[in-house]
Amino acid sequence: MPFAETSLRDDYAAAVERVAGRTLDALRGGGGAAALVDPDTAVPRPLLAAVRLLGADLLSPQLLTGAGPDGPAAALLAEARRALPAPAPPSREAALVIGWQDWAAGQVLARTPYGEAVPPPAPLPGPDELGWQAWSVRMAQLSVLALPGLDGPVHDTARARVLALARGTVRSMMRRDLTTAARLARWLGWAAAEGRPLPLDVGPVLDRIRLAGDGSARTGLELAVARLLLDRSRPSTAERNQAP
Amino acid sequence: MTDTHVLSVAQQVGSRAMTWLHAAHRDGLGRIPDNTVVDLATPNDAYKPLGEIALVASVVLRDGVAGPAGTRAARELLDYAWEEVREGDLLYERQLRHVTMSDPLELYGHFARAGYRHPALEELLESISRLRAAHATEIQANRRLAVANARRLVGLSHQPDWDALAARTWLGATPEPWAVEWEIAYQITHTVFHLTDWGAHPDGLPEPMRDHVRDWLPVWLDVWLEIGQWDLALELLIVDACIGEPATGRQGWDALAAVQHDDGLVPREANEAVSSDRDESFREHQHTAVVAVLAGDVTLARALGTGAAAA
Repeated sequence: MPFAETSLRDDYAAAVERVAGRTLDALRGGGGAAALVDPDTAVPRPLLAAVRLLGADLLSPQLLTGAGPDGPAAALLAEARRALPAPAPPSREAALVIGWQDWAAGQVLARTPYGEAVPPPAPLPGPDELGWQAWSVRMAQLSVLALPGLDGPVHDTARARVLALARGTVRSMMRRDLTTAARLARWLGWAAAEGRPLPLDVGPVLDRIRLAGDGSARTGLELAVARLLLDRSRPSTAERNQAP
Repeated sequence: MTDTHVLSVAQQVGSRAMTWLHAAHRDGLGRIPDNTVVDLATPNDAYKPLGEIALVASVVLRDGVAGPAGTRAARELLDYAWEEVREGDLLYERQLRHVTMSDPLELYGHFARAGYRHPALEELLESISRLRAAHATEIQANRRLAVANARRLVGLSHQPDWDALAARTWLGATPEPWAVEWEIAYQITHTVFHLTDWGAHPDGLPEPMRDHVRDWLPVWLDVWLEIGQWDLALELLIVDACIGEPATGRQGWDALAAVQHDDGLVPREANEAVSSDRDESFREHQHTAVVAVLAGDVTLARALGTGAAAA
């Protein structure tokens, strides 16, 4: 009897896409990630893993759009963090990256009834130690930290080294690594929202990645966050019209 | 401030490339064939390498940082090239027949930089530069700058609107830096070369263009080093030395020193084998040798504050 079977890896990849897609919907004003879960049954393991991977971004709609609290999403993130240990890091550098991603998830959960603040991990080396190339790749891995309300030493370096972030973005674009480019463009959007002048026009970068990128919901989520951050850097038309 | 490691590697790469170039010409490689007539069907083949020899030799003599051996090699190369163009007669005859052709002017500009003069050719060039036709030729914006720089070197009375010429180049538009492709990168380097006359006038590059280059040059160098485009990487290092304080560090110089052969040859790119046939190898890698010498020379001249920039 013929039967279709997907590999475990495919199941996890599909779950990440589903969760990212739902979060993207929420960013655009639709339902949240909680809609993924049937409250009467246990959450499937791939879904929990996907939630753990996306981490703080699960609550990005609340942080970026002023959407109301999403209790079920926060509960889901808290459950994922409880049920699944942080992935085993292959190196000391990777451990730091995972530590900071986890810190971000803890910080956003601390604003909900489902968690409390976690202490920051050890600081990361900056572009002077790593070179702007390696540092920007590291920052791309930490794009989930580029959210309003999160602040710390990683953000301080990002604020101070906008040109290095922009160089990393352009380098990734030219190397056709549009996933890394999207994540660094998100940091640039964050820097703009912080009032930092940008050496690079980020709008065309986002548009290029939207058209030429992998088209995944996960990249779409990075782009949507970047766009919303960028929009914060300039007053909306309505605000301008209200100005005396 | 350029660090001393960069200066020492730049000096080493440049002087070894000069040794290779000088030895090749001493042994008769790259000579214009005896049967070459003035009306060359494919002018680029014979003229372009000769023009590059005159360029590199005249810039080395201008900057005066090459040391006795390098200076002697440059002088011999320039004398040889001057002899090849029959002390300017070949350029004169070619320009006389072809009013709108710019290569005799561009080639002569390098000789003029080093004081090798041909009065009849200069009179002819002065006359042609007064024609509207001489400025109406449809060429790329960076090529137009090459012609303007050659007129400046010869000392013709025509005064171009440098800002307007610069504004028409790719760099003049300061476009999205990630849209730069291989050929565009060469257009960018040449825009900088001609506006600054190979580092002699760092201020010749208008400020917004200079800021743009300083912001993105490290990225362009990084991506073309990664795929082993050594020739282009050397041109980018020349650019870095033409615009004032360097924007890149050791990365480029260390990579190029590592791929330079013992005899001084620098491979054009990583993805092709260097031919064991000396003629073929010379043809393929002579341009890279020229830009290697220039990169070393201009880097040293800028750091030491010598040459035309300090005059």
